[in-house]
Amino acid sequence: MTRYLKTGLILFAICAVCTALCALINEVTAPAIAVNVEKDRLNALDAVSHGYEIGEQEEGSGSISYVIPLYDNGSVAGYIAEIVTSGYGGEMTVIASYSADGTVLEAQMMANSETPGLGKKAEESWYMDMFRGLGGESPLPLSKSDLPTDQAAAVSGASITFGGVSSAIHEGSEYVKSLGGAV
Amino acid sequence: MSHMKELTKGLFKENPTFIIMLGMCPTLGVSTQVSNAIGMGLSVIFVLTCSNIFISACRKIIPDAVRIPCYIVIIASFVTIVEMVLHAYVPAVYEALGVYLPLIVVNCIILGRAEAFAGKNGVLDSALDGIGMGIGFTMSLSLIALIREVIGAGTITLFPVGSFSGVITLPLLSDSPVRVLTLAAGALLLMGYLKAFFQWKSARGKGAEA
Repeated sequence: MTRYLKTGLILFAICAVCTALCALINEVTAPAIAVNVEKDRLNALDAVSHGYEIGEQEEGSGSISYVIPLYDNGSVAGYIAEIVTSGYGGEMTVIASYSADGTVLEAQMMANSETPGLGKKAEESWYMDMFRGLGGESPLPLSKSDLPTDQAAAVSGASITFGGVSSAIHEGSEYVKSLGGAV
Repeated sequence: MSHMKELTKGLFKENPTFIIMLGMCPTLGVSTQVSNAIGMGLSVIFVLTCSNIFISACRKIIPDAVRIPCYIVIIASFVTIVEMVLHAYVPAVYEALGVYLPLIVVNCIILGRAEAFAGKNGVLDSALDGIGMGIGFTMSLSLIALIREVIGAGTITLFPVGSFSGVITLPLLSDSPVRVLTLAAGALLLMGYLKAFFQWKSARGKGAEA
C-alpha cells in the first residue's frame, strides 16, 4: 500500500512540476500569441475585402462564426463570413467574402492542422481560384469530381481538406444569400 | 573523450533516421520543404535535450513501474513549451509544422532515448546524447527534404530574411520537376535509397575495421 502511495505521489509531483513549467511559459507567451492571432485575422479580412469598406462584425449562426458587411459608397456590396469546418487534421477556419448574391469574391484558409505538403496547400492563393466567381449563378464545386481535370489533380491526396473547404465556402454562400443584402 | 563520443555517435554511427530507423512518421511527413525540416529538427533538438536532462536528473526518484507515464508527461510538457514559443515568436514555422509539432510527443527518437539512455546515464552524458541525436535527426531530415524539394519542385525553401523571400527557384528543375518525390510514395522511395547508401557505407566501414 505504501509503495503504491509513494509511486502515486512521485507521479503527482512530476506532473505538478511539468504543469507549473507549462503555466509559466503560457503566461509569458499568451499575449504574443493573442497578438499574432488577431493580426492574422485582420490581415485576412483586409485581403478578402476586395477593396470594399469593412463594416461592423455581426454574429452568425451554426458553422458561421460571424459576418461583416462590405460597403461600396455606403450601400451593401457583399459580406465577409468566417466559417468553421472540419478537415483531415481536425477543425479548420475559412474566411471568405461574397457579393450580395452569394458569389465568392475571395477566400482564405485560417487556423488548421492539415498535413504539410498536402492539405496545407489550401493556404496557398491558387487554391481558392477553384471557388472565385462561383456560388451565384454558377454552382460551387462540392467534391473533387466537380472540378476540371487539372484542378482535381492539384487537390489529389487531400480530398478531405478540399471537401471541408468547399462545404464551408458553400455554407457561407448560402448564408449570405439568406441575408438578401440586409445588414 | 567518452563525453564527445556521446555527442558524435548520433551524427553518423547511430544516426536515428538512417541507422536506428526511428521517427519515420515525421521524417516522411515534414520533409517536403527544407524550412519545415529545419524547424522540425530544431524543435526535436530542444525537446530531446531538455527531456533527456530532466529524465536523467530524476532517474533515481522515478519508480520503474511508472517510468513510461513519467517520460511521456515530461516530453509532452516540453513539446507544449515548444508549441507555445513557436506560436508566439515564429508563427510561420508553427503554421508550417502543423500536426507534426504535437506529434513530437510520441516521436520514437525522444521516447527511445529517454528509455535507452537518459533513464540509465548521468545528466551531462544524457544532454550530449540528446544534442547529438537531435543534430543527427535534423541533418537526415534536411538531407531528405533538400533532395525531395530540389528534384520534386525545383525550389529550395528557407526562411525569409529582409528582401529575400526565402524561396530559391532552380531554373531547369522548376520547369519539369519529378512530382512523385513530393508525394508520400516518393518519400518512401528516397528513404529506401538513402538507407541502402548508409547501409553500404556502414558495412564498408566495418569491413575496413576488420
